[in-house]
Amino acid sequence: MSFTRRRFLQTSSAVAAGAAGSQLLGVRRPFAQDTMSFEPEPGAELRLLRWSKFVQGDEDMWIANTKKFTEQTGVPVRIDNESWEDVRPKAAVAANVGSGPDVILGWFDDPHQYPDKLVPLTDLAEYLGNKYGGWYDAAQKYGMRDGEWIGLPLGASGARMVYRQKWVQDAGYEEFPTDYQEVLDIAKKLKANGHPMGMALGHGVGDANGWTHTILWGFGGKMVDEDNNVVLNSQETVDALEYVKELYQSFIPGTLSWLDPNNNKVYLAGDIGATNNGISVWYAAKNSEDPAMQAIAEDTYHAEMPVGPVGKPTELHLFTQAMVFKYSKYPNAAKEYLRFMWEKEQYEPWQLAATGYISHPLADYANNAVWTEIPKSTPYRDCVKNMLWNGYSGDLSYASAAAMADYIIVDMFAQAAAGERSPKEAAEYAARRAERYYRV
Amino acid sequence: MAIDEEERLTRASARFWKWGRQNPKSEPEGASTDYLISMPRKVVTVYIPLLIFLFVLLFPFYWMTITTLKSNEELYDYENYSPFWVAKPTLDNIYKLFFETSYPLWLWNTMLVSVVATFLSLVCAVCAAYAIERLRFKGARLTGMAIFLAYLVPPSILFIPLALIVFNYGLFDTPFALILTYPTFLIPFCTWLLMGYFRSIPYELEECALIDGASRFQILVKILLPLSIPGLISAGIFAFTLSWNEFIYALTFISSSENKTVPVGVITELVEGDVYHWGSLMAGALMGSLPVAILYSFFVEHYVSSMTGAVKE
Repeated sequence: MSFTRRRFLQTSSAVAAGAAGSQLLGVRRPFAQDTMSFEPEPGAELRLLRWSKFVQGDEDMWIANTKKFTEQTGVPVRIDNESWEDVRPKAAVAANVGSGPDVILGWFDDPHQYPDKLVPLTDLAEYLGNKYGGWYDAAQKYGMRDGEWIGLPLGASGARMVYRQKWVQDAGYEEFPTDYQEVLDIAKKLKANGHPMGMALGHGVGDANGWTHTILWGFGGKMVDEDNNVVLNSQETVDALEYVKELYQSFIPGTLSWLDPNNNKVYLAGDIGATNNGISVWYAAKNSEDPAMQAIAEDTYHAEMPVGPVGKPTELHLFTQAMVFKYSKYPNAAKEYLRFMWEKEQYEPWQLAATGYISHPLADYANNAVWTEIPKSTPYRDCVKNMLWNGYSGDLSYASAAAMADYIIVDMFAQAAAGERSPKEAAEYAARRAERYYRV
Repeated sequence: MAIDEEERLTRASARFWKWGRQNPKSEPEGASTDYLISMPRKVVTVYIPLLIFLFVLLFPFYWMTITTLKSNEELYDYENYSPFWVAKPTLDNIYKLFFETSYPLWLWNTMLVSVVATFLSLVCAVCAAYAIERLRFKGARLTGMAIFLAYLVPPSILFIPLALIVFNYGLFDTPFALILTYPTFLIPFCTWLLMGYFRSIPYELEECALIDGASRFQILVKILLPLSIPGLISAGIFAFTLSWNEFIYALTFISSSENKTVPVGVITELVEGDVYHWGSLMAGALMGSLPVAILYSFFVEHYVSSMTGAVKE
């Protein structure tokens, strides 16, 4: 191919125009093919609202990484913390009034409540996906809407079966089983030995929603189908309720009123042999100066959530993702900050410092040292990989968020377990409640 | 007990309740306490209900106190330690609260916001209540009713529109965001309370002052307010307590840790995911409730007198 002066000018003009256009759009690729960066706006400064630390290492490393970002880019970032359950109302207010933090680390389907208020993050998400082995399915579901990325998944605070190994071995199992019928069996044996199981059936956002959805989906039940028609009142749901009703007989008393912290306290008091939880129970016991707590930490192990008759994992975990709001004066700086924090050099040390409390949404991070260096973290590795989404198998929407906020699934299981309603009646009643939201 | 005497006591009791405590001097002889003369009856009708009442009211404080003084080891071990007593008291939780969190700052913020918001609300409420009760302008009753209805609107509905106003005025994340929004529920409450109190003050006193040439403002300041001190204290204590405990506005309008109030701050710093630092949380709740309790103890007599109607015609 001959390269005339005229063609060179055309080509170089196009390249220059493209480069200029990229600059205008705030996108540049200065270093290598697999590196993207966004040019922060002059004088940019950022404000991030995130959930307060789950484990100390998480906060320390997040701040250290942020400091590194500021040193490299000159963009100061102010980090505000809020209790994790309080981030959602604050994010909703910020979205509605059009002012607030530039970036918020929200929960579950928050971006789908106000998608038009958010800066699209498609270029950034695609770049990260291509570079780090792709996003897991649940991450895509939570992060995308109508083919556009509106949130950048950070991961999930996963839940696993947390158990006392000695008591499980006393019950005749080498480790905690992952088959539903074996779980029923060990629950009975644990109770007979004076170390019953206990899982939240009160309005616990994480724990109660997590295990009840897992059981419901494990039997093939679901709230809505792919077209968002309520299909909760089904034989599969009744089977799941019958199962939990029987399981509940082996629980420690009081679980109907349990919120998220209750199982932690009871477990650390040595009153239960197994529960479902994040890594925080073990972390708290391990870091305690009390020898009794350290002994509990020593004997504590984690197992993957049981798999039901459907034959594949059906988990729900506390999913968190970053949102950049359109009212931000510095969207490019915000995207650059997110890119920086999600890159391997920052993400993996942060995940390690948090002892795997947050499971990754990008496949390549499954190779992070945290999953091998801390063996008790290993069961948490595939939390996002194995999870579905609230409102499965319909869309993420106002209805899915409202149905979960109203604890329809949790209440249904609690009513059946307590005998307040028969499993059939509980399923009918829950379906009626769900229809109210899905009619809108 | 003879039947006659029992009938006499029953009639005396009935008269006592009919006359009420507002007219103690007019009570018929023996009407106030005679019906309690029998000790077993006194125990059943007074002391036992009083003890139950005290237990219900004070047990949360007791629980907060013992949890504050317990180590985690004791807190989680129900078998070797009684949950109702402290075996090995420790100040670690209080130390953590005061020296490892921004609690002193949150306490100061809460005090500042509560005092200023209460003062502002009382000033507005006095003017509003006086106007509605005494100026008797057209629609005064309706206005009074509307103010009362405004109090019934829950903050969970108001916080988004209020957030818009707060942001537009550039008050977000400043103490003024709370100082100026708390009166939205304090003023209706105080106005409603003071309207009732002003109504109990004889109008003739003001008429005399009017004849002597006092202006409306002078009447308000020199006659009505001095007579209304118990009512003002009562409204002030209520307003202060409501401000002190408020959560949803403080959560929504404040972001920076250094501007937070106690109810929001303790949740942010002392709850790590699903791990609650119960000892420090209880220490925070206990220390946070002390200023309100002290305030009550100083003004309890005025407070009670305002509840029972203090001004006699």
